[in-house]
Amino acid sequence: MNARAVLAVTRAQWLTASSYRVGMIVSLVGTIAAVVPTLLVARALQPVMAGAISSEGHQYFGFLLLGTVTFTFLPIAINTLPSSIESSISNGTLEMVLGTPTAPAVLLSGFMGYSLLWTALRALLLLAAGALLGASFSLAHAPVASGILLLIFVAHVPVGLIAAASVLAFRTTGPLPQIVVVLSTLLGGVYYPTHVIPGWLRPFSDLFPLTYGLRALRRVLMDGATLAQVAPDLTQLMLMTVVLFAVGTLMFSLALRYAMRNGSLGNY
Amino acid sequence: MGAATAPRLEPSVSPSAFEPDGSVAVGVYGLTKRFARQRTWGQLLRAPLRNEQVTVVDDVTWTVAPGELFGLLGPNGAGKTTIFKMLAGITALDGGSATVGGCDVTHDTVRVRRSVGCVMANDRTLYWRLSALENLRLFAALYGLYGRAARERSREVLRTVELTDAGDKLVANFSSGMRQRLLIARALLPRPKVLLLDEPTRSLDPLSARSFRAFLRSELVAGTECTVLLATHSSEEAMDLCDRVAVLDRGRLLAHGTTRDLGALYGGEWYCIWTRDPEHPALLTSAADGRMLHVTVAQADAIGWSCLRAQIPGGPDRAAALLLSLAGDGVRISRFERVQLTLADLLERIVVEPHRP
Repeated sequence: MNARAVLAVTRAQWLTASSYRVGMIVSLVGTIAAVVPTLLVARALQPVMAGAISSEGHQYFGFLLLGTVTFTFLPIAINTLPSSIESSISNGTLEMVLGTPTAPAVLLSGFMGYSLLWTALRALLLLAAGALLGASFSLAHAPVASGILLLIFVAHVPVGLIAAASVLAFRTTGPLPQIVVVLSTLLGGVYYPTHVIPGWLRPFSDLFPLTYGLRALRRVLMDGATLAQVAPDLTQLMLMTVVLFAVGTLMFSLALRYAMRNGSLGNY
Repeated sequence: MGAATAPRLEPSVSPSAFEPDGSVAVGVYGLTKRFARQRTWGQLLRAPLRNEQVTVVDDVTWTVAPGELFGLLGPNGAGKTTIFKMLAGITALDGGSATVGGCDVTHDTVRVRRSVGCVMANDRTLYWRLSALENLRLFAALYGLYGRAARERSREVLRTVELTDAGDKLVANFSSGMRQRLLIARALLPRPKVLLLDEPTRSLDPLSARSFRAFLRSELVAGTECTVLLATHSSEEAMDLCDRVAVLDRGRLLAHGTTRDLGALYGGEWYCIWTRDPEHPALLTSAADGRMLHVTVAQADAIGWSCLRAQIPGGPDRAAALLLSLAGDGVRISRFERVQLTLADLLERIVVEPHRP
């Protein structure tokens, strides 16, 4: 992987995004402002939720804030690639960048780079604002938590790869991104721990990488769990990531070959 | 005077087979490309599995020597852009083969991409929210140039296309001509052995187009010594710039050869005579005795001059003699000029009667 080329694409994405200054400022202000309703809802539900979240920290505000922060990464991981491919096709830049000797994997990583960094910045702001308002996190575990958060992000990128493949071949992402985002929200433990989900739904919850990642993240950051203690969840998450990446890469390669055969890389 | 009919022609310059060798900068050998035909809902419902294809490049063969300026001339839909995309490794081949700098475009795509600079006929392929320099630095990185080397090369190519002062300006604020130059600067970044220019003067006004052609000749071809392939639907541009030209229509190679040969074969004997007396007996006699063929008269202009178009066989001396004779007979003539060969004329002459028996 050519890191300097990845950085160059990331830089170009950043320069393009930062040329829309109002949009950037609104996004940052909106991120920070989102802490207030989260705090109010968490305070109201604290007595109800305290028992249910005892294994993932006792404070519902922290629990909810971590769920929200993690959830901000999800649509970015899933939607960045298809939307980048879509806009590159309609602009005509996709043909040009794919016409260089740089490998598609490098280009796709560059497309993801800016989105990841920007979301990480927003997440940091959200967590900092939450900490100021009383959310309790174990800062000593922040590096491990960051690694888990990155792994959650990476685990969802293949869904974006599959959606991007669909854009290349059929000019639509199809329903997959929405399905994954909505079901992950409902079954992945964003707003409540997965063990409160009705028994018949729990097997479905286990199908989503978010379930494992979020549980591990909360246990590390709010309960001070060690890596060894969350290893089963992380192993599951990594296995899913590997399998999903294999599927996503295969589908993207096939779609790229199809588009090159059809000459449709530049036609939207 | 009658309507024009097709002129008689010399034999077409026929495509012949070539063997790939080191002296060939670009070679296409039986190149073929088919795309799926767009089908209506009704057709889809009636036969959902039928795979209808349309051939957009049909068994095309030619080679280009290193340092040559080669033109692909043809109307819209001739297959020029598709050929360029196949040569640039952006579109896959369906038949035949193609080489760039000795590398096969299908099996050695990365090396081909390193040696090709591509200017497509779409200035949206630039990042409009970035400055010219930022655009170039991004693509420099994608061609493997980083840091200082990328900055220096970017400034160098901006100098080549005379955009030095506009480096920090957003591309969105560029004029069409500036964007066209920036597209060329981008294509020059990797020091390409082969430059593909797809309708480079399409969005330029006549003055900018003329200056661009001069720049193309003096700076690009003479200055960089790279092989240039130019796709255009302007026969004037192709004849003016190129050493050799391939004429394409609906994916087929109709003719190819030196511009001099093609011009002589298909456009050498047509003249336009501006006269006040289109019905003058001397003109009628000249048409009747075969000194002028296929004569047509356009409606007179606002001040009464009519343009009479005709083929005058026998070369320039016969044309000069006819002019003297007409003037001597009292035909009032303000202008007597050779007609610039248009693409439409060229295609018509090649297609309608490609071979003289």
